[in-house]
Amino acid sequence: MRAATSPAPARILLADDHALVRRGVRLILDQEPDLTVVAEASDGAEAVDRVRDTEIDLVILDIAMPRMTGLQAAREIGRRTARGEPPKVLMLSMHDNEQYFFESLKAGACGYVLKSVADEDLVSACRAALRGEAFVYPGAMGALVRDYLDRMRRGERVPETVLTEREDQVLKLIAEGSSSREIARALTISIKTVERHRANILAKLGMRDRTQLTRYAIRAGLIEP
Amino acid sequence: MRLYWRVLVINGAVLTAATLALVVAPVSVSRHPVVSEAAVLGFGLFLMVVTNALLLRSSLAPLDRVVREMASVDPQRPGRRLKPPDSGPGRDLVLGFNAMVDRLEEERSMSNAKQLAAQEAERHRIARELHDDIGQQLTVVLLGLKQAEQRAPAELADELAALRESTRDGLDDVRRVARQLRPGVLDDLGLASALASLTHDFAEHSSASVRRVVAPGLPPLSSDTELVVYRVAQEALTNAARHAGASAVELSLTKVGDRVVLEVADDGRGFDVRRDGAGLRGMRERARLAAGDLTVTSSPVGTTVRLEVPA
Ligand SMILES: Nc1ncnc2c1ncn2[C@@H]1O[C@H](COP(=O)(O)OP(=O)(O)O)[C@@H](O)[C@H]1O
Ligand SMILES: [Mg+2]
Repeated sequence: MRAATSPAPARILLADDHALVRRGVRLILDQEPDLTVVAEASDGAEAVDRVRDTEIDLVILDIAMPRMTGLQAAREIGRRTARGEPPKVLMLSMHDNEQYFFESLKAGACGYVLKSVADEDLVSACRAALRGEAFVYPGAMGALVRDYLDRMRRGERVPETVLTEREDQVLKLIAEGSSSREIARALTISIKTVERHRANILAKLGMRDRTQLTRYAIRAGLIEP
Repeated sequence: MRLYWRVLVINGAVLTAATLALVVAPVSVSRHPVVSEAAVLGFGLFLMVVTNALLLRSSLAPLDRVVREMASVDPQRPGRRLKPPDSGPGRDLVLGFNAMVDRLEEERSMSNAKQLAAQEAERHRIARELHDDIGQQLTVVLLGLKQAEQRAPAELADELAALRESTRDGLDDVRRVARQLRPGVLDDLGLASALASLTHDFAEHSSASVRRVVAPGLPPLSSDTELVVYRVAQEALTNAARHAGASAVELSLTKVGDRVVLEVADDGRGFDVRRDGAGLRGMRERARLAAGDLTVTSSPVGTTVRLEVPA
């Protein structure tokens, strides 16, 4: 047990078949005092083995890997509960497609980070995952909030929500498929602020963690139960 | 009867008749024909020519008609055939011509199918290369620049940040192009997810509402057939977004007997289905690739594209 003021950094397993990508990600994570990469794997099967023989808090899985894809590995890892709580899983992917995000949720991951924004988002996604929150990939936000707006339009009872006027504006822009960058420009606010609004909206709509998010997506018909 | 024999018989018959007429008729021609004799001869000759002409014409007229009709068979609109006359030389010609058009269309659709398959394979290869090689390299650069930026002297930081943004744009472009070339989601997650992704994109770019129904327990399709279904759905949705002015679109994938049926229906303004363009022709060719049937029905209250493929 270390001193309470600086808790032990979270132990991360990093799986990607591209060694240089692994190295780049590792350098970024190791710079953070609260995160440390303790193991690497170059395919899904190896990742599953590492989880078995190493103490891991968070697994970062590339989706496209040989032998066993990241999605298969996520399912496998979620199943290994012999040593108590399985580690949190975060997917790292080249695919800018909401279907991969929903599929990842189904496989047990609590977040999905695009490689093209890994330099910006990965660290905060890791922290969210470790806190037990979901990290919603921005490309999937549109589908989630569109369903919410549809139900509201049909006059269905939706979760009791009081969005601020700003959050409401952000919500509509997200539903139209605007990116954070575009929303920031349209409302002349910073990207960081847009992201904070987004997190608040998700929380208010009842999509804070993986379980809530998955339940919501199933009800919205975005994933099969 | 062969054309050669027919002409020979007609000419022979006319000449024989004329000869017989000469033999039987009480006429003779002097060494220096007088006017009356010349008149009779001329009349006989005229009679012969006219008879010959009439007989030949009635015999050959169907040929002319056939030739005219042949010109109207358009390779762009396959399936049209001439109706063979009941008899006469035109019949063989039309039957032969129709058989040849059959062979040509068969040949053409096979080579189109081959070309489409080759094109898809090539796209697949390029998309994979973009994703797996170029995409990963750019990711390495992106992450490396982030590192460099943090350690660089202040006067370089802005420049490195700008480079990082360009790298990100490059990565986005690579991914977008790869996705257009080949829907990775189809290979990785299957047809249902790929169709969901299409309707998601549609909803994002159109004001029309879109509904998607995928029946549970559909029989598995070969990956080639899945690609055909995907491409037809993609083109049909593109058309609905671009031309229909619809307020609602529905995409469904269901099972009818042992066949899988894709339907994309809009409530838009409709169009004349006989005037198709490259998109609709492409759908037909792809349907043929999968041994499927494509039907497009359209009226002023909407358009439905229906594709049926064997499981
Ligand atoms: N769903 C539709 N609703 C209304 N018109 C349509 C629809 N689909 C096609 N059309 C009409 O048919 C034409 C041919 O379509 P297509 O073969 O896909 O070629 P393109 O889309 O490149 O014009 C279009 O230009 C349009 O006028
Ligand atoms: Mg078209």
